[in-house]
This record gives sequence, structure tokens and C-alpha cells, in this order.
Amino acid sequence: MLLTIKQLQVKYGKQTALQINSPISFEKGERIGVIGANGAGKTTLVKAILGLTAYEGRIVTELKPEQMAAHMQNNAYVTTMPVKRIMEMILDTKIKENKELQELIAFFEFEGCLSKRYNALSGGQKQKFTIIMIMMQKAELTFYDEVTSGLDFETRQKLMEKMVEWYRDKEESLIIVSHYYEELEQLADKILLLDQGKVVAFGRTEELFKTYCGNAIFILDNNQVNGGLTKGFRTLKSPNHLIALSCRDREEERELLSILMDNNVNFKRSNSDIEIMSINAREQFYAKHEKEKN
Amino acid sequence: MRSMRKRKIKNDAENSVEMGKKMKQKKCNMNMVLYELRNINGNFMTHFFGIVFPNMMTMIFSRTIGAQVPEAARDNVIVSIMLSMSLVIPMSIMFIGYGALYSQEVEREVPLRMRLFGFHERSLLMAKIIAHMIFMTIAFAIYAVFQVFTMDIPKPAVSSVICLLVSLYLIGIILLVIAHSLANIFRKFGVTFGITMAVYFTLMMLTGMMGISTEQLPQALQKVAATLPMTYVSNDFADFWTGGSYNFMPFIQSFIFFGAVSGILLMYAQYRDRRVIK
Repeated sequence: MLLTIKQLQVKYGKQTALQINSPISFEKGERIGVIGANGAGKTTLVKAILGLTAYEGRIVTELKPEQMAAHMQNNAYVTTMPVKRIMEMILDTKIKENKELQELIAFFEFEGCLSKRYNALSGGQKQKFTIIMIMMQKAELTFYDEVTSGLDFETRQKLMEKMVEWYRDKEESLIIVSHYYEELEQLADKILLLDQGKVVAFGRTEELFKTYCGNAIFILDNNQVNGGLTKGFRTLKSPNHLIALSCRDREEERELLSILMDNNVNFKRSNSDIEIMSINAREQFYAKHEKEKN
Repeated sequence: MRSMRKRKIKNDAENSVEMGKKMKQKKCNMNMVLYELRNINGNFMTHFFGIVFPNMMTMIFSRTIGAQVPEAARDNVIVSIMLSMSLVIPMSIMFIGYGALYSQEVEREVPLRMRLFGFHERSLLMAKIIAHMIFMTIAFAIYAVFQVFTMDIPKPAVSSVICLLVSLYLIGIILLVIAHSLANIFRKFGVTFGITMAVYFTLMMLTGMMGISTEQLPQALQKVAATLPMTYVSNDFADFWTGGSYNFMPFIQSFIFFGAVSGILLMYAQYRDRRVIK
């Protein structure tokens, strides 16, 4: 067991930013994706585990704060010297003498940035700079808090590809906070869904998907024709411009597939869509709470 | 199957040890001191107030005040001016310069980023103190060379020079700790810089560095001045510059008081910033 959260409560003034009542455990080597809207308590959770914010309750772990590595939303460095000097100080090494670091710098195509000052780097280069140093730390637990926020689509895609590639055969535990569902689909094997400071769902991605979406889902444009064609199939909550249809088994899938193909309808099939799963988990969570109130 | 599992456990244990080795708390080392020196070098304020300002002020004061005093008293006055202005070096580098530099870092959360990389607050502070002492040594050397070549300073007793240097380094360390704590408490460059500037000029005024001697101050302010080590360097050290005896007890007591103030501020700042996982 890497870490267990028990009865955690974080308050900012009178407002409760995060409340976790049922115990949550992270195992060694797990990749946890933390998702939720703004103000859901994602960064608060990261800060509580890192010991950066006061809380009530318990976080049981053998790790000391300095044994965890963290990429925060805001990562600032001095601007009085080239980033190469900062990197060598933080990692207590010389780049030209450290083959592993040289490889990582090359892996992220960061060689050309080493002589620049931090304020002269682009958004993507700034993220890469912190990521390289965090990866070199090889911490037992690493946090990535919205590592791609503020980056353009192409830079975001490239950065995620690099991260996925780097962590493919590694055993480090990761906690990845992100607004982008597709990033978590690539990196996380467990999802912690937060909303307004509460835990809506926590578990393995495929299990959560089965619970809230069924065996597989089909996503198509929301229009009158598509609505008419798919009448009778179980619809899930989805963004307004889409229709999400749930299939419980292969038989139902084949039936739907044949209708869609016969009518030349464009669609996307998924058995791991975190966005649709999250929307439906949230829906069920509040419906259950409403029921309990009444 | 069992052997595979055993091998897996062994690999996990080895990886754990490897990770543990990488993620030790980082202690103060040469790389950190060099980093801090580069950081100081990029701060214009430290250069100007720590090197240019004291040399310029000594020259101006010694030319203007030195010309107004009788020939017999001139040596003592010039030594007094030189000693007072030597205090500007630790006060500018370790208090104003450091306060300005570090409070900007705190405002941008650079120290937090360092702590997240495994640096302990104590190690960071230690590296900053060492680097600033090195820079202060360079400033002292420039000041000494400047004094020797431009001023007619009487040859000092070795014990007086040692006493002066030890005092200046101690004052510098205490001032740096105060500036560090203030920056950590207020977290904003503007507020910290305003406070350190106000304290700086108050200290200069109280300790006789602004042209008004401590004896000319009201009784209450004289009592406050007596708690500051700078007062003794500025007012008394000229009397034993070329040798002689001096009662160091009030001077030592002022150090204890000044050091205690900085210690309390540091402890408070560290308590506020502590990282606790319970």
C-alpha cells in the first residue's frame, strides 16, 4: 500500500474544499487519474498529500514529503541564469557527465533550450523543463497537476506522447490531474472523479466504465435522424451535441452497428470513454443523494 | 510460479531502494552555493547598494565632513566614517539586496518549487548565507582596496580588523535571516521591500550612520540603539582602531538580543511554512 486517505477534510475559511469520507487507497505502481470540474478539489487533494495545506483526517503513508515529486500548475524558477545551471543544481549533477540526463533531454528535444533563461522559454518548453527534472527524481510517487494546461493542441499531444512513452515500462506511481479526458485514457489505469469537493467515483477505469456505461458505447451526432434511428436503445447522459448509446452485450452492439452502417451514420465506439463515464457517474451520484434526502 | 513471484518482490525491493536513493532530502552542497552566487550576480540592487554605494558614500562623507574638522581630529573622524560605511555593506547585501531578491522568489513560489524537489528550508537558507558571505567578502575586499588607495586611513591593529570583520559577518548573517523571515511571512515583494527599506533607514539613523551620532538622539531612542550591534561598530570601534582596550560586554549583549529577534522570526516563518502529512 502506497497511501491511504481516511476521513479527509480541507477547509478554506468556512468553505469545505474537499471532503473524503470513505477510505481511498493507492497501491504501489498505480496510475491514478484525478478529474473534475474547476473547484472540484483536485489541486487541494494534491496539496494535502504533499503536506502543503492544512487538513483534518489522516493520510497514511510511509513516504516523506520530499520522497514525492510534483509538477504543480505553477512552476517558477529564477531568471538570473540559464536553465542549464538551475537543472544542474536541482539534480546535483553536470549534464555533460550524466548520460541518463542527456538521454532524457534528447528524448524531450530540449537541448536547444538549455542556454536560455526560464522567462525566455515557451509554455511547452517550460513544462518540459520541469518534467525532465521530475522524471530524473524517480520518486515513488509523482504528481502531475494539469501538466498540459495552457498549451496548444499540437504541443499538448506531443508532450503526452512523450510522457506515455517514458512511463510505459516504469514502475513509478503517478497521480495525474487533468481536464483532458483523452490524456487520462492514455496514462491512467484508475480514475478518481471529484465534484464540489466530494468523491463521485473511484476505481479501475474499465470497472467504472462498465458500472456507468455498460459494455460499450456508441457516440454519434445529436440530430433528429440519428435520434429516430436509435430509438429503443439505452441512451446515456452526454454533451448536448452528441448522442451516447449504451450496449450491454455483443448482441445489442451488433444490432446497433448494423442500423448505423445501413444508414451510413458516422459514429465512434468506445469501451473506455472517460468523459461519458464521468458525466453519468456524476448524474447517478447526485440522483442517489437526492433519493437519500427524500 | 513461486520463484517468479519471489523475483518480482526482489525487483520491487531493488527498485524501491533505487528510488529511495534518488529521493533523499537534499543537503547544502557546492552546487547550491554556486547557484546562489549566480543568482546574486544577476541582482543589480546587491551590486549597487553593496559595492558602489558604500564606496561612494565614504568618499563623499570623508571629503565633506573631513574638511570641516581640525587636523588633529581628522584621522579619528575618517576612521569613524570608514567604519560606519563598512556597515552599509552587510546591511545592503544581506538585508536590502537579499530581501529584494528573495521576496521576488517567494512571490513567484520559487522556494516552494525547490522544496518540492526535495530541498529542505535549512539547506536552502544555508546555501544562501554562504553565497552571500562570499559576495560580502568580495565587497569588503573592494572596499578595503578603495580605502587604501583613496583615503588616508591610519594603520589598524590586527585584532581590531579581526574584530570588525567578525562583527560585520555576524551582523550580515543576522540581517539575512531577518530579511528571509520577513519575505516568507509577507510573501509579497512590495511589502517586504517596503519594510526592509524602512528598517534599513531606521537602523542607519539609530546607529549613527546618517550623520547624527547616537548621543544626539532622545533617551528612548538611545536605549533602542543600544540593542543594535551596529551602534557599537559605528560609534566605538574608531576608539580602538589602532589598538587599546574596550569593554565588549554591551556589544555582545546586543548581538544576543539581535540574534534572538532573528531566530524568533525565522522559527515563526518556518512554522507557518511547515509541510505536515499526518
